[in-house]
Amino acid sequence: MSTYLLRKTDVRPLLKEASAVWDIFAPLREGVGDVNFKALPKDRLAEALENLVLDDEPTLLSPKTIFFPQNETMFAFGSGGIREQVESSPKLLFGVTSCDLSGLLFSDGFFAKDFPDRYYLSRSENRLIIVKGCLKPPRQGSCFCASAGTGPFAQRGFDLQLVDLGGEYLVEVGSGKGESFILAHSAFFASGDGRERAAEAVKRDATATLGPGVDFDKALRLMVTGDFEKNFARIGERCVYCGACLYVCPTCTCFNVVDRADGGSGSRMRTWDGCVFEGYTREASGHNPRPSKTARTARRYEHKLKYDPLVAGRSGCVGCGRCLDSCPVGIGMSKFIREVADGTEEM
Amino acid sequence: METRHTHTICPYCGCGCGLYLVSEGDTLTGTLPSSRHPVSRGSLCVKGWNSHEFVNHPARLARPLLREGEGFAPTDWDRALNEVATSLSAISKRHGPDSVAFLSSAKMTNEENYLMMKLARAVYGTNNIDHCARLCHASTVAGLAETFGSGAMTNSIGDFDEADLFLVIGSDTTAQHPLIGTRIVKSVLDRGAKLIVFDPRTIELVKYATLSARQRNGSDVALVNGLMNAIITAGLQDEAYIAARTEGFEELRKLVAAYTPERVEELSSVPARDLVEAARLYAGAKKAMIVYAMGITQHVSGVEGVQALANLAMLTGHVGFPGTGVNPLRGQNNVQGACDMGALPDVVSGYQKVADPAVREKFAKAWGVPRLPDKPGLAATEIMNGAAAGTIKAIYIVGENPAVSDPDTNHVRKALSKLEFLAVQDIFLTETARFAHVVLPASSFAEKDGTFTNTERRCQRVRKAVACPGEAREDWRVIADIARRAGYNGMNYAHPSEIMAEAASLTPIYGGISYDRLETFGLQWPCPGASHPGTPVLHVEKFTRGKGAFKPRDYKAPAETPDAEYPFVLSTGRLYWHWHTRSMTGRTSTLERESPDCFVEISPADAKTLGVRKGEKLKVSSRRGTITVRAEVTERVKAGSVYVPFHYGEAAANLLTIAALDPVAKIPEFKICAVRLEKAGA
Amino acid sequence: MTGDRNNNEYLPRPARITAVRRETFDVKTFSLEFVDRADAFSYKQGQFAEISVLGQGEVPISITSSPSRKGPMEFTIRAAGRVTSAMHDLGPGDALYLRGPYGNAFPFETLKGRNLYFVAGGIGLAPLRSLINMVLDSIEDFGDVKILYGAKNPEELCFRGELEEWKAIPGVEVYLTVDRASPGWTGPVGLVTALWDAAALSPENAVAILCGPPIMIKFAAAGLSGRGFGDEAIVMTLERYMKCGVGKCGHCNIGGSFVCTDGPVFDYAQVKRMPEKEGVF
Repeated sequence: MSTYLLRKTDVRPLLKEASAVWDIFAPLREGVGDVNFKALPKDRLAEALENLVLDDEPTLLSPKTIFFPQNETMFAFGSGGIREQVESSPKLLFGVTSCDLSGLLFSDGFFAKDFPDRYYLSRSENRLIIVKGCLKPPRQGSCFCASAGTGPFAQRGFDLQLVDLGGEYLVEVGSGKGESFILAHSAFFASGDGRERAAEAVKRDATATLGPGVDFDKALRLMVTGDFEKNFARIGERCVYCGACLYVCPTCTCFNVVDRADGGSGSRMRTWDGCVFEGYTREASGHNPRPSKTARTARRYEHKLKYDPLVAGRSGCVGCGRCLDSCPVGIGMSKFIREVADGTEEM
Repeated sequence: METRHTHTICPYCGCGCGLYLVSEGDTLTGTLPSSRHPVSRGSLCVKGWNSHEFVNHPARLARPLLREGEGFAPTDWDRALNEVATSLSAISKRHGPDSVAFLSSAKMTNEENYLMMKLARAVYGTNNIDHCARLCHASTVAGLAETFGSGAMTNSIGDFDEADLFLVIGSDTTAQHPLIGTRIVKSVLDRGAKLIVFDPRTIELVKYATLSARQRNGSDVALVNGLMNAIITAGLQDEAYIAARTEGFEELRKLVAAYTPERVEELSSVPARDLVEAARLYAGAKKAMIVYAMGITQHVSGVEGVQALANLAMLTGHVGFPGTGVNPLRGQNNVQGACDMGALPDVVSGYQKVADPAVREKFAKAWGVPRLPDKPGLAATEIMNGAAAGTIKAIYIVGENPAVSDPDTNHVRKALSKLEFLAVQDIFLTETARFAHVVLPASSFAEKDGTFTNTERRCQRVRKAVACPGEAREDWRVIADIARRAGYNGMNYAHPSEIMAEAASLTPIYGGISYDRLETFGLQWPCPGASHPGTPVLHVEKFTRGKGAFKPRDYKAPAETPDAEYPFVLSTGRLYWHWHTRSMTGRTSTLERESPDCFVEISPADAKTLGVRKGEKLKVSSRRGTITVRAEVTERVKAGSVYVPFHYGEAAANLLTIAALDPVAKIPEFKICAVRLEKAGA
Repeated sequence: MTGDRNNNEYLPRPARITAVRRETFDVKTFSLEFVDRADAFSYKQGQFAEISVLGQGEVPISITSSPSRKGPMEFTIRAAGRVTSAMHDLGPGDALYLRGPYGNAFPFETLKGRNLYFVAGGIGLAPLRSLINMVLDSIEDFGDVKILYGAKNPEELCFRGELEEWKAIPGVEVYLTVDRASPGWTGPVGLVTALWDAAALSPENAVAILCGPPIMIKFAAAGLSGRGFGDEAIVMTLERYMKCGVGKCGHCNIGGSFVCTDGPVFDYAQVKRMPEKEGVF
């Protein structure tokens, strides 16, 4: 793997140059102080780059939403029949965390298999991912990438990965696309030779700082053999059905499909959906195979922690901690995993 | 297509959560909460998370419509606006200014509400302006103004993080104000805060309650008087506070002496033992918040209920400090603001009375008119009665749907159809719009700049994320256009910030509010000056009126009680999944799917007697109407009581409700009427 | 932007109704054909398609016609929800949109030489009918064929004419039952599982194929098991609320399986491995 050096002061000029080719998505500070992973507006690029956040602050939604938006028009219909709507601009994702990369790779695999999902694949077919490993946990007390094996630095799947060496980043190249990007913007990069050991030390320190908080592997094993119905019942009673855990999860891919029309024309739209909702499995007859809160709660945790490992070969939870941070009543994966691994009652 | 984020405020409840609308071009594709916003703090309820979806619905009104026979024909703005302006003017001229009425909207911005009341008063010379606050917290505005001097929530949403005890009465908080309700849940679970819940139904919060009881519907005044009786009996009142901060205690002591726990048990069915314990807990807490909503206000004794709670808080010194207070939770996103801006018949903005000549003079001068009407106008409920009686000839309704939301809607629908002229401005062709002569296509929250004021009096910026669909226009522009066409030239604004500047200059509690100060998370009124930081807690050193006034209030019976013919008590309310008449939530796929149809909650015991099983249809009839709905057999309601959500136009609960009014606040008694149940098809 | 229609599985193709036959008061059988013949697909017994009424939505419906027969694709549909009710208002010549076929299929080759018991409840006969007619078209390859069919009442029996035709075929027996008799009904009253003895049910060299309401499948499968049928010899098609039909939207996920792509046909052994709390039946 070749490595390069990128000065921190060159990040903004680099992105400015790259914006000629790419739509750039990055963690940006909003006017009110929030940090969101979002598109840099091309008409206000300089201003937006001023708001680029490089210091491990949490973003509310994962970059999954760039490829799988909350509402997406699948096609419009009217007197002229059906008109497909797909989006496929080139996208550069800068500053993706390692856990979010895991989430993206998980979603990629899901949407690509069997019947490929045209909408997701079209949005993501031309993308470049630049990961930036975390030196401190963005969601202290909620995230646990080191335990989940998804961070703080990525092993694979990135195009480029940045390791913070203080005044500069060591840039690891993970793909030919990444290498081409560096060639295209070579003025910003120097050779990373001789700095790899420093980078390894940074990674080691970060990994030590970030975890392990919970025994994730033990929890995954126990999910297969153990009985957690009481936990599911307790958590289900507390849930208030806001849907946040589904909406913020980097690996939740479920959606509903609805037509919206007035007279003969309208559109078919898909919208985020998921297992915590009672209507998600309710049939037209009124019969609901998953009628209880307990069953719906079990579905969420077992899908991520029991069936995903079985079917996809890896956990559907990447340890980002978003579900806990966005839950208005304090329910979250990290707490549940602790309950499973340690036999405690966290919620 | 480039995606953009626009920071704005949720259009549903009075919590006023900060959120981002995600857009691709003029299409909204998502919502996400603001992490740093003091209310949402990175969370939203399911309505908030899906708040963008209805905005792009193809059924949005996109062209002005003119009545043509039984239906409507599209027209252009010029013709539509002229039709409205000239019809209102002609009727006003022919039958007098008070033959015309205006219904403003708690969904609109402060600026738009300010313009509506200006239109009514300055242009058409009538105080006949009101809005749906009449149906939710009119009792609060009247009740707290008299006791404290300010008819608003005394404390802030942030205060829920520091209270030691919550007394929740008549508020299904997790369902109706989810981001406040969940703060209570977390306070109980994470901090060990105590929770007392009084509600005729077993609401979600009961799971977390230290003590809870289901009082008889409408017995709240007796119940609260009973709490005060028990507190005084045990000597737990805050004598120092009473002496220093209040007046009228002796009268209160005398009145509540009659409300012994035993008598209150008879009146309310709350066990005397629980009453005494609740009194002890509330009085003994260091910081205790009273939280209430429509379970208190929507009664013929709504004002008394509010004042009883104010008395209780003053008795124990639980007002004027962080983490305490009397906290009415306002329903609509901007119902607080619509009241603040004077979309009320007796006051202009800032609760300045129209009866006060100095106030009239100030406003007349600023608005460039010779005089303003001095007689308080009609309340919304009275406007409908006026229409039915033929004294109100024309109404201009913006963003309200009384054909579903008002009590005894058969009466309302008859009244609307009798009008000489009805203009309705809305985002969808609502049940009410179907009665209109002119329909004006309006803007949703996502399509305009402005401000909303949430339940904690926080005035916050609302920002335009996308353009209005088709030819639809921002409401403030439409209102100003009507004024111009009526010959008034005092409504020329390039941007809503100019409207706020005018409103602030005339409204002391908003005096220090301007757009440049609202960029982040707004300001809580009173904010009298440009450097004033806003007021998170009211009545800190003294009450707004000076001394807090005890207003001893006796219990009185509801207007309609069960009898042999109509043996059940019907209570109405909202659901977590829907908002009001569903014109927005019914067009939001997740929400509509989760709760697609109307139902009646009935106790297992009553279901057994009637031989009805879950899912079967029940005919629910009152003296005013009948609806047929699905039976939801549940322990949530007591035997003898039933509950119907009022969201569903096709099975409108308000066909059943009674238009009995609180004599002061003119709020209808939505919470109680008598009904009969029969198995449908039996 | 218009993309290549062929790689977007979600795009339905224009079709039209060629005939409508009423089965019961709320069930109709629709014959459909694609507007563009190039869109036509071949399908297997037990597969389903997604039918759209644009503006109302899309529903997965099993194909009830048999792949062994020429002729239009048929779908038997109860007016239960928004889309299906809208379909019931349509007639010959009206436009619909269609995509498919989806799901696995009933076994066929492996059934040859075996005795077959078809057990159906209500509209559950529709998916089985595809296989039944396929079997009947080469009846000589099979052992005894017995069709056990129950409905709430006589009026709710579907395919009544065809039931008579099936009865007339040598080697085929048809047993009907209803939950509630109405005047003129002379047959048995009771659940379909009460027909076991009348049909002289025997597990020997037999396969049972089930479709019906969840509760019927549950008791029928358990009953057959009790009568000595092996788990692999009990085959069923499951119904589950679904949207996309192609293993993406997640609604029909049970445990680690998608009913839409891993099913809808499962044998009892597979079903038993599904988590019970997911409400398989």
